Amino acid sequence: MPVINTDNLTKYYGDVRGIEGLSFAVEEGEVFGFLGPNGAGKTTAIRTLMGFQSPTAGSATVLGADITDTASFRKTRGKIGYLPSEPGFNETVTGRRLLEYHGSLRGDVRSDEILELFEPPLDRKVGEYSRGNQQMLAIVMAFMHDPDLVIMDEPTSGLDPLKQERFLEFIRAEQDRGKSFFFSSHILSEVRKVCDRIGIIRDGKLVELEDVASLIDRSGKAVRANIADSVTAAEFEIDGAHDVTVSGGSAAVGDAADGETVGEALTVSFTYTGAYEPLLRHLLEYELLDLAIEEAPLEDVFMRFYGDHDAEAAVERVESEHEDDAEPEPTDV
Amino acid sequence: MFETARFESERRLTGSVVVALGLSAFAAMMILLAPSILDEFDVAALTETFSPALVEAMQLDAIATIEGFMALELYWFGWLLVLGTYVAYSAASTIAGDIDDGTMDTVLAAPVSRWQILFEKFLSLLTPILVVNVVVLVVVYVGTRLVSEPIAAADLVAVHALSVPYLLFWGAYGVLVSALAASRLVAEGIAAGTLLATFLVKTIADGTDIEWLGLLSPTQYYDPVTILTASEYDYSGAGILLVATIILLLASGVTFARRDIQ
Repeated sequence: MPVINTDNLTKYYGDVRGIEGLSFAVEEGEVFGFLGPNGAGKTTAIRTLMGFQSPTAGSATVLGADITDTASFRKTRGKIGYLPSEPGFNETVTGRRLLEYHGSLRGDVRSDEILELFEPPLDRKVGEYSRGNQQMLAIVMAFMHDPDLVIMDEPTSGLDPLKQERFLEFIRAEQDRGKSFFFSSHILSEVRKVCDRIGIIRDGKLVELEDVASLIDRSGKAVRANIADSVTAAEFEIDGAHDVTVSGGSAAVGDAADGETVGEALTVSFTYTGAYEPLLRHLLEYELLDLAIEEAPLEDVFMRFYGDHDAEAAVERVESEHEDDAEPEPTDV
Repeated sequence: MFETARFESERRLTGSVVVALGLSAFAAMMILLAPSILDEFDVAALTETFSPALVEAMQLDAIATIEGFMALELYWFGWLLVLGTYVAYSAASTIAGDIDDGTMDTVLAAPVSRWQILFEKFLSLLTPILVVNVVVLVVVYVGTRLVSEPIAAADLVAVHALSVPYLLFWGAYGVLVSALAASRLVAEGIAAGTLLATFLVKTIADGTDIEWLGLLSPTQYYDPVTILTASEYDYSGAGILLVATIILLLASGVTFARRDIQ
């Protein structure tokens, strides 16, 4: 039985569309990534799934309970963890008192254990907490009752990179314990690290629903070749190559200075979705100075669903690329 | 059960003590001033200076005794208006305030019903109501005896006890406004504004053609002046306030249960 099942789930705020016609299922034991830029409807979907607001149309079940059935969904919430992107807290109390209160509402079976991984200063008032400490407190509150399903809205926001990594590690460990996750994010690099499948949401509608692996397969390879000969983009219009560009790379400048290569050493870049053999055969027809074949950034795939005209998506892409730069993941050739 | 009431009550304790100390200081000042003012007070002159309607509206004729003086200066002003506003204002910030700052989300993510949250938040208003009443009761009881102008203990207890339904009414009204309003500021403004408006309507409408309008004012059902000067306790008024409180709470519960938390 799916842990989350939505059927045509729709939420309008008056005339303003929040989400429209969302239909998807999250299976037990799965980490489901829910991707989209800010304003795409991710938070609306989550708030509707948590029962904070009622859907305008359609239906959804979470852990088998109908989200609009107040009484049965109230009991079910005891098995759900909720991790908001910007958690709000009563700022006049200490973290310890707040944990004690929330523990009394939902049960506390493992806050001690989680506090070893995420250590907000419990004896300080929450009003004095940094953004990262607030997020860690929210993490403890989301997991303290050992829920079967955790619904997370941009859960790593506010965490420093070390804690982000620790959190993703924690998610993988929890998944091994059989827990399920609904993971909303606009950062592809983190989603690809932990998610099994992703749904991409744009303007309130689900535009793609796929395995992370096949999405990466479909996105192809990013090929970059430094070539000593003169070359034109047209020469690389082979089967499976897309968006071929030719530019004078930095390597070419260096070589020219050495006087080893006369003429223009150029960099050819393109996305390639075919088999390796024809590509390599074609490349060997040239004098190769350098060659890199990497997994195409998922951002590029992502961009197909948003288009270059979407300024906001472009901003997200830059942010995500920045993330990826820190950790390149070259593919074996 | 009652975790929320306990949590919210703890948070209200500091504010409650501050209000209790403030009203105690005000009460002590009035008690210290009372003997000299009462000595020099000339009711006849007062009723000659002001119109009979005004004298009746302000119950100025009652001011010549320590009971009347305290009733008007402390309870009429301090309880009907100041403490009433404090309770209504605090209640108004409960639901709307928690939605505003996002704390409602983490609470509603737990397996609790909205009815329960709302009711327990309302219960926590008993903290300021009880703390302030008990502290000031003791201050007035001891104080009036120290200046040798004692007020009957039964009347004092009654004036405080019967204020509880009045204050609960404003608490329930504040909670209802809070469940309806889009933001904390709006809720607080409406709650405090309504209290001030009904207070003025009752004061102005008394003895005029629109006296019936005063029936709508909660101040109609809790009269500290009559309690202290005539030892008349309006139990049915208290009953009306309690019934109204329950109705307001039910309306709040229905509103909050159906509301989208955004």
